[in-house]
Formats: sequence, C-alpha cells, structure tokens
Amino acid sequence: MTNILEAKDLTVTFGGLNACDHVDLEVPTGKFVGLIGPNGAGKTTFIDAITGYVPTSAGNAIFDGSDIGELKPHERAQSGLVRTFQSLELFEDLSVRDNLLVAAYPTKWYTFLADMFHLSSKNSEIEERVDWALEIMGLSDASDSMPTDLSHGRRKLVGVARALAAKPKLILLDEPAAGLDTSESQILGGHLREFLNHDMSVFLIDHDMGLVLSVCDYIYVLDFGKIIAAGTPAEIRESSAVKAAYLGEQAGEIQAQEGERMRTQQQGQEAEK
Amino acid sequence: MEALLIALIAGIGAGGLYAMLGSGIVIAFRGSGVINFGHGAVAGYTAYSFDELRETGSLYLPWFDPIPEFGFLKTLKLNNIPVRIDIFDNVAFDNKPNLALTIFICLVMSAFLGLLMHFLVFRPLRNSPILGKVIGSIGVFLYLSSMIVVNFGGQNRGDEGFSGFNNTAEPVRNFLGLGGTIPRSNFYLFGAAILMAVIIWGLYRFTKFGIATRAAEENEKGAALLGYSPQFLAGANWVLASITAGIAGILFLHKTQPAQIALFVVGGLGAALFGNLTSIPGATLGGLFLGMIAGGGVELTTNDWWPEILPGEGVRNFMPLLLIIVVLYLRGDKLPIRGSISIGRQPRAPSTNNVTIGVIGAVGIALMLSNIFVSKWESILTTTLIAIVFMYSLTVLVGFLGQISLVQWSISGLAAYTMIRLMADGTKIRDTDFALNTGWGWPTILAFFGAIVVAVICGLLIGLPALRIRGVQLAVVTIAAVIAIENLLLRNPPLMGDGSVSVNPTPKPSWFGQYVGGFNPDTARNDYWKFSLFLIITAALLGIAVANLRRGQIGRRFLAIRANERAASAAGINVANMKLLGFGISSGIAAIAGCLLAYKLPGLQETQFEVFGGLALLAFVYLGGITTIWGAIVGGCLMAGGLLPEFLGVHFESIDKGLINAVGAIGLIVNAKVTNGEGIALLQTDLVKNTLTALRRPPDDTANTSNDEEAVV
Repeated sequence: MTNILEAKDLTVTFGGLNACDHVDLEVPTGKFVGLIGPNGAGKTTFIDAITGYVPTSAGNAIFDGSDIGELKPHERAQSGLVRTFQSLELFEDLSVRDNLLVAAYPTKWYTFLADMFHLSSKNSEIEERVDWALEIMGLSDASDSMPTDLSHGRRKLVGVARALAAKPKLILLDEPAAGLDTSESQILGGHLREFLNHDMSVFLIDHDMGLVLSVCDYIYVLDFGKIIAAGTPAEIRESSAVKAAYLGEQAGEIQAQEGERMRTQQQGQEAEK
Repeated sequence: MEALLIALIAGIGAGGLYAMLGSGIVIAFRGSGVINFGHGAVAGYTAYSFDELRETGSLYLPWFDPIPEFGFLKTLKLNNIPVRIDIFDNVAFDNKPNLALTIFICLVMSAFLGLLMHFLVFRPLRNSPILGKVIGSIGVFLYLSSMIVVNFGGQNRGDEGFSGFNNTAEPVRNFLGLGGTIPRSNFYLFGAAILMAVIIWGLYRFTKFGIATRAAEENEKGAALLGYSPQFLAGANWVLASITAGIAGILFLHKTQPAQIALFVVGGLGAALFGNLTSIPGATLGGLFLGMIAGGGVELTTNDWWPEILPGEGVRNFMPLLLIIVVLYLRGDKLPIRGSISIGRQPRAPSTNNVTIGVIGAVGIALMLSNIFVSKWESILTTTLIAIVFMYSLTVLVGFLGQISLVQWSISGLAAYTMIRLMADGTKIRDTDFALNTGWGWPTILAFFGAIVVAVICGLLIGLPALRIRGVQLAVVTIAAVIAIENLLLRNPPLMGDGSVSVNPTPKPSWFGQYVGGFNPDTARNDYWKFSLFLIITAALLGIAVANLRRGQIGRRFLAIRANERAASAAGINVANMKLLGFGISSGIAAIAGCLLAYKLPGLQETQFEVFGGLALLAFVYLGGITTIWGAIVGGCLMAGGLLPEFLGVHFESIDKGLINAVGAIGLIVNAKVTNGEGIALLQTDLVKNTLTALRRPPDDTANTSNDEEAVV
C-alpha cells in the first residue's frame, strides 16, 4: 500500500522548544487518519509544517511520492494537499459559493484577459464539484449568502467545503468540529467517511474523542510534540499512555500536573509570539 | 572630497526638519497607531499662519466660511463664521508683532489642529480598517493643503526667518578647516532638532503621561483597565505631535516656501521608519542621516563623471524612498503593528451585474453633454472622463486587491512623458511651444502602447515591495515613490527631452488617420469632439472590462487576497503573482489615463503629477466608492475640474478650486466613517435596493391600511 503523506523525523522548533519533536507519521492512500492530543501538544503546528506555514528545522514531508519541503504553501495546495483552519479564515467579501469557486478554478497567466472580456467559460465538472461540496456540508441553501450572515458553525463548514472544492488528494482538517452545534456536528460527522469515496485521503485533528474514534482508520497521539502512541481506534481506546497524557488518569496524575505546568509555560511563550 | 564633506554636514539643516517631522509622526503613531500623512501639512499651515501673523497681524483659523456671500444670503448676514482674527494692529514693515507672542499664538493653533484631528478624524476612525485610517490622514493632508490655498492663497512668501533661523545671516565659513560655507541656520536647525528629541524622549521616559502612553501602545485594553483612557492619551499625543509639527514649520520657514513644507512629510516618514516608528532618538538620527545623504548625493551629481541622466534634484528626492526601502527590507515583518482594540472590516465589493446597461446610460449622458453643449462642456467632460479612467486603476488595485498604492498617478505621468518622448520628432509642434522636443518619432499607436509597457514595468517594480510589506507601510513606500518619480524620471531632460522641465509639448496624436487630440485649432480650446468620442469609448470599454474582472476568477482571487492572504495561499492562490498582476493591470489603466491626458492638453507639466494631484484623485474615488466602477464614475464627476463642481461653479458664479478639494477632504473623512469607503455609489445602490424591497414587501401590519388607501384612491 502506498502512502499519500509521510512525515519523517519532522521537527519544528520555536525558540528552543520543540513544538513537533521528530514526528514520524504516515497517511496511507485512501485512508482516514486522525491525530489527537491535548491542548498545546503541537497538532496544529504539525499541519502548519506539512502545509508550509511554519518552517521545519529537521525532517522531511513526502506527499504523493515527492519531497515537498521546498514548496510554498500555495504550491502544496495546488498539488492536492489542502488544509482547513482551526479559526475562521474565510474570504469575507465573497459569497459562500465564490469562496469555493476561488479554490476550485485554476488560473493561467492570461485568465485576467479572458475575465476582462468576459470570455471565461464555466467548467461543468468544477461547478458540479462545488455543488457537491456545498451539498455535503449542508450549505446549498446558503450558496449566495455572505459568510458573515451565517452562524459560526456553518462558517466553519464553509471552510471545509472550500477545501473539498479544491479537489484535494489529501485533506487536512484542523479541528473542524470545534464550535459547531449538535446538528452541524452531525452533518460533518455523518459525511466525513464519504470524503474517501471521492478520491481523497483524510487527515483529521480534533478534540472530540468520540468523533475521532468513530471515523478514523488509524490514529496517532501527540503530546509535547512527540508521538506517544499510534494504532487503530480500539488500540488507542485501551492505551494507557494515551489515558495518562490525554485523559489525566490517576496513573499519570503527577505527569499530568507537570505537563500542565509546562503547557502553561508553552502557551505563554506562544502568546508572546 | 572637502566639498562632499561640506555638503554632508550642511545636510543637517534639511535633516533637522526631517528629524522634527519624523519625531512628530512617531509621537502620533505611538499615541494612536496612525501614520499621519498630513503631518507636514500641519507644519505648512502653521508656517503660513506665522508668516501671515507677522506680516499682517491676522490669524486665519483652519476652516472656511461655507455660506456663500451672494444674493439673499448676503442680506441675511448668515456668513458670520469667524475665519480671520485680527490680533495685532498697525503691523508694518518696521513694526512687526512680538516674536515670542507670535510663535506662542501659532503653536496654540497647531495644538488646536491636533485636537481637531483627534476628535474629528482619528477618534471616529479608530475602529476602521487600515485603508480607512490612511484615507483619514490623506484627508487631513488634502484639507490643510487646500486651506492653505483658500486662506493664504498658496503664494510664495519672502519670510527671512528670525534670529538664528534667519537666512540672511552671515554663513559659517571654512567650517573645521574644510573650506566652503554652510548657512548658519543649518546649525541652529540641527540644534533645535536635537533639543526637541531630548525633551520628548525625557517626556516619554520620566513622566506619568509618557509611561501611560507606552502602556497603551503595548496594549490598549490593558491600559484602559489600569484607568488610563486610551482615547485621552491619543488626544494628548495628537496635540503634542501637532505642536512639534508647528515648531518645525516655523523654524524651517526661512529655508523653503511654506507650501512645500507639507511635502517634506515624505522625508519625515523615512525618518520615522528609521526609528522603527517608536523611537524618538531613532527618528531624529534617521532624519539627520537622511538630510545628510540627500545633501551629499546632490553634491555628487555636480561631478563631471556623474551620469547626466540622474539629475541632482532627482537624487535628492530619491533618497527618502531609498531609505524607506532599505529600512523596510531590513526590518521586514518586524515593524510594529501597534496593538489596538479592534480592526474593522474592509469595504464591500459587490460584483456589478447589469454593467452593460449602466455603462450605456453613462455613455448616453456623456454623449449628450458633448453634443448639446459643445463649446461649453466638452473640456470639462474630457477632464472628468480621464479622471474616471484613472480611478478605475485604483478600483482594481486598492478596491479589489486592497493594496494601498499612492503612486498610480505618477505612473500615469510616466506613461504620458514616455509617450511624448517616443512620439516626438524634433519639430516644433505649435507656435506657442517653448521647447523643441526630440524623440524617436514613433507613430501614435505604437508610442501609446510603448508607453503603457514602460509604465507597467515601472508599476511592477513598485509592486515588488508589496510582496514583503502590506497595509500602511506600502502607502509610505508609494508616497515616497511619487516624489522620486516626479523628480528623477519626469523632470529629466536627458531622459524625457528638453520640454520635461517646463511645459512638455504633446505631438498631435492620430489614430487610423484621425486626429484625436483634445486641442481644437479652430477654437484654440480643448474641445475637439473626436477626442471626446475617443474618450467616451475608452472609458466605457475599460469600465466594462474592470467590472468583468471583478465578476471573474481573477476578481475573486483579488478579493480573497484582500480578505485573508493566509487563507488565500491555502486555497492554492499564488499571492505574490496575483499582487503583481494587480499592480500590472492597475498601472496599465493608469498609463492609459496618463496618455489620454497628454492627448487632451497641448503640453504637460510635471507638477500635474505631484503628490497632491494623486492624493486628490484617490480621495475622490474613495468618496465615490473605491470598490466599484460606479464609484469611479461618481468620483470623476465630483472632483475639482469635474462635471459637478463646474455645474455648481456656473450657478454660483465662481467656486474656489481649493474649496472643492477642502469639501472633498471633509467628505472623504465622513465617508471613511459612515460608509467605510463603499462610497456614494454603493450607498445609493443600497438605498434604491432597500426602498424597492420595502415597496415590494410591505410589512404585514401595514398591508391592510395600504390596501384601504388604494381603495380610497
């Protein structure tokens, strides 16, 4: 089986602190892989590093068979490695549908001329894909709304739909369920596995253990920048290391307290940045 | 070598002014987070007030009487808003008012200007997006520059200065044994700048006010929780900044014309950036350094080996741009973005759907004006249309892409001068021409497109810094580029021909055998109808093209970048390429406007392309609405020399051009607050839309009554 994404020994350093510490991680093609970990464990930093938003200090990221370490963020996105953001990062001046169209249509150097003379034709395949992305995220009725007119949760779904419209080979979802209400969560959770039927692999970060355990084929657990466990949902559920780090069981209480202290420090440092 | 050293040392004079202005810009930035482009204009207005007070004993308050003195209004005696206050009586050449008192009164007035700026401009705009704040400070610049024209006539003054700052004083000879002479006042200016820096630095360092300001600078909310009102601190800092500007203006009055002092803000901005926008000593050093390298640079150009193609004044005015670019390149993203409580949202940029109908309507109106009132309106119509074409370039770059470039009008100038150079063939074009312009003798159409290519390349070069910096920093770079282009590229006989330093005569343009210049030899006026037709077609086609651009894929990408560069790159958009594309398209359109202006007039002057002209155009397109082509059309009609003021001018017999800009500047600031830059055009559309919706869907509780009324009717 081939891997769509491989992180080898990936390390990200913020001022002496390893936010990602020699992370080895694989996403097999066509699979649904999750990454969990407590606040400040380095999950978002990992996605930022993979997509080119923070520089790595060591290690490689291999996407679709080639090393993407030198590529700029937009080049990674164009090659099919598409991410969503934890915070709302929408194009607020564009309608929901336009938000998706931006990501869906490629442009050439002469596109502006075609645009000026209104010669650009619609591509039915792309338009269908956009329709599908809107529908699967339950946004068909909001197609022409402005993002600011939607609820917070639906705006997050627009972000996911925008990533879907870009026709990714691998979609990296950064806490898509955070801030969603129950019905929105159900829309998302109910459709996540469907993504796999559209020629893509999925990499999911979330806090919602229930969601991650129910949809993923394979799960990595990150704490203090290190992978501390990996396995199928059943294995993760039983792992004592995960319980200690993530759930704060009695066995790991002292560790957890220590961890809390360090995390506070780490967050303080991040906030300073 | 000695000459160079002397020139470097003498540069501390101008450097002193840059240092003082730079310090003032830093004070205002620390207090409010605004980079004030109007800071030099405060200095200029105070300098004029000082001169006026000394020469005539009258103080002119910084506003005008808006009630016109004519007809029944005159009999009602409504025009009693005080503008002129006669303070000193019997002022004569040998009986000048007390110097200290005069300075004090003028500084009180500049403090008052600071209060006005705070309460009327920057406090209302405190939650506006960066564009709104930049526009606010441009509004200050335009307003005060216009008030200088309205209240003081903008004429040259012969003020010699006073005591140490007197330009007739015996110069220092053989300074440090280097030979050469240095004006005595340069040393006084240097000393004044240092003294001012020490006082302000001490104020920030040791007083409670200074500590509170620094606290608010770090974190407005935190300072507010500690009981310091950020708005009070901002106001106090505005007053302080304005007083320093006033001092700078009064001290520097003997060196230059007060009208020019407003433009020295560019050097002040360079100095402030050198001080990282936060350090008074840094800004002072930066200003002195800038003055010295500018003086030294000019000295270098007097050498035989210096290439003639780089004129001295050009080098002098290029130095601020060079300093700013170097500082921004070295500091890059590390320049402070001052903490403030919130950043407002960008103006909406809806796509225009029924663009063809709208444009046909506009064309119809334009055609009517050109046919029915041939002799009277043709010239005004073409001025309006050229302004509209130019404003499209700002719609694309500022409105769609969100890049605040103040240099596009200079790009127009560059295109116009290049076109003239390419077309000229060394023959005398009109009897009235002063200069014979030599050039390459290209045919009209080829020269037109050649000029556009040159302008686009220049626009792309200016766009390069935009890849690293954004927002107000780009505005600073581009305003420095304006004076650099004007003095280095336009006023440059080896490059642009002999006409470029006086009136640059335009060769007669002919497209496909038709003369399309604006100058009509039969009437000796700028009212040739074929030119109007040519312009109407160009403006209409470009308007449709810009509206189409917004509807298409590129327009969406521009707006995506304007909203969120991070998310745009995640959506696979090459932000750098798109920004360059925006600069390219905008510069191309600006170039067309510049060439058309050259067609209209028998000759061009480079002063048409100086800072004020470009800012006024930006002001009026912002007033009309920066995000749609309708905004450009409205803006073109509103601006000085455009249709609306000229119509009004006919009705009110005469309207001061300065007043139009002043009113425009007020409208600009109000517009930044009220419509967030969406402008009159969009406000208008919204009104129509809301009214229509209200008419179509009457609320349920009134439905019955309206039916009843219909029955009655």
